[in-house]
Amino acid sequence: MKRYIALILMVFCVNLAFAEDKNPMDSLKEPIDRVIDILKDPKFEDSAKKEKQAELIWEIIEDVFDFKKIGELTLGNFRKDFSEEQLDEFTEEFADLLGNTYLKKIQGEYENEKVDYLSQKIGSGANSDKAMVETVIIREGVGIPVIYTMWKNKGVWRIYDVKVEGVSLVRNYRNQFQKILIDKKPDDLIEKIRRKNENRGKGQGEGEIE
Amino acid sequence: MKSNKAMRLFLLFLMSGCLVSLMLVCGCGTGNQALKKEGPVYLADASEGFPPPEGQSDADFLEFGFEEDTAVEKSSPSVNVSDPLGPWNRMMFKVNDKLYLWVLKPVATGYKKVVPEIARTGLRNFFNNVSTPVRLANCVLQGKGEKACHEIGRFLVNSTIGFLGLGDPASSQFNMKSSDEDLGQTLAVYGAGNGFYIVWPMVGPSTFRDTLGTGGEYFFDPVNFAEVPYEIMYGCTALEKMNSLSFRLGDYESLKNAAIDPYDAFRDFYIQYREKKVKE
Repeated sequence: MKRYIALILMVFCVNLAFAEDKNPMDSLKEPIDRVIDILKDPKFEDSAKKEKQAELIWEIIEDVFDFKKIGELTLGNFRKDFSEEQLDEFTEEFADLLGNTYLKKIQGEYENEKVDYLSQKIGSGANSDKAMVETVIIREGVGIPVIYTMWKNKGVWRIYDVKVEGVSLVRNYRNQFQKILIDKKPDDLIEKIRRKNENRGKGQGEGEIE
Repeated sequence: MKSNKAMRLFLLFLMSGCLVSLMLVCGCGTGNQALKKEGPVYLADASEGFPPPEGQSDADFLEFGFEEDTAVEKSSPSVNVSDPLGPWNRMMFKVNDKLYLWVLKPVATGYKKVVPEIARTGLRNFFNNVSTPVRLANCVLQGKGEKACHEIGRFLVNSTIGFLGLGDPASSQFNMKSSDEDLGQTLAVYGAGNGFYIVWPMVGPSTFRDTLGTGGEYFFDPVNFAEVPYEIMYGCTALEKMNSLSFRLGDYESLKNAAIDPYDAFRDFYIQYREKKVKE
């Protein structure tokens, strides 16, 4: 019995040490590899299994994307107008919006894309908790540059912004949200995102432009 | 061939406008300073073990202050381009949206089903190879010697070993990558700002500067001076557009679905995308 406990303890410690030592690139590569494995897995080919597949992928994504941080950053100075509950609600709806659109996209269109990990840079001094990982997604022979910016919180590196072809996700949403929040209340923004989420049942991209 | 002449006259007009604005920009004495990009904010104590920051990359993850967001003023939304043509642009955005969903998308989807990837890739390489002169000229105008050499090397290798440009051994075997330089970026390097945002029917988002660039590029492209009937030229352009769209099907829909205000989102996509292209 004692031996067992010792073994479990040892495994636990090794795991802890491992988590501490993970660099930003590994913290990114490992979950992405897992997502690609799930996408490739033939057992999810059946359309009835797609929901299960989406669930599994979403779990991984929620781990590596810091949606709370992303949401806060898109609000910028307007974050102060949000109560804790509003912030939680906003984060949930916003994560839903991103998840629903992009998860469906990678699920529906995955065609053996590969990800190349080019470089990682960690900040120094006060920014030693921030890092940038450069990757390229190779799709049908074309490279799409994707840069992840990550921060280390409680020993874990998580994503707080993604730049695809130079377009920052945070900056883009910040632009949209700020225009709304200039003369509307936090609840109005949350409501707008919620409505968008509810309407997503419509065909891909068929939605009307306001 | 009357239309031919009129077309050339129009483009000549565009080009002269382009030159005038270029001279205006240079005449203001900002030309030289503008060539130097703003220096990045380096961290005071760059620790060893890191490659020294190149270009502006180090500033990238400092873009968003965590503790206090001083960069964003509450009173002014961070619109990064002026949009005096807003109502027209929104209308054109809607027109292009429908054009894409009802015409371009079904056509390109059918095309993608019928034409295998290898042929589409070959065609993409071919068109890319043909447009080498435009990129080369802009590399030279921007003083990017290495990129210019790569463009020349690519053209020589791909036109021969690459079988008339259908293959791309230059990047797979010789690691010479194509650099996506255009006249709009050249104007930006010489100090021209975006001007205002404009959405063209069919063509899509652009700015005043990039429109001048696109118009002016006509004169960089020797293909336009070959005695090719216009029907064939238009046919080729249509094929090129459809072929390149076949690689990007579905992207537009996702981006649009994920946006709260698609018009604003796409305007920002365009501006950020071009900013990055100019930096490179």
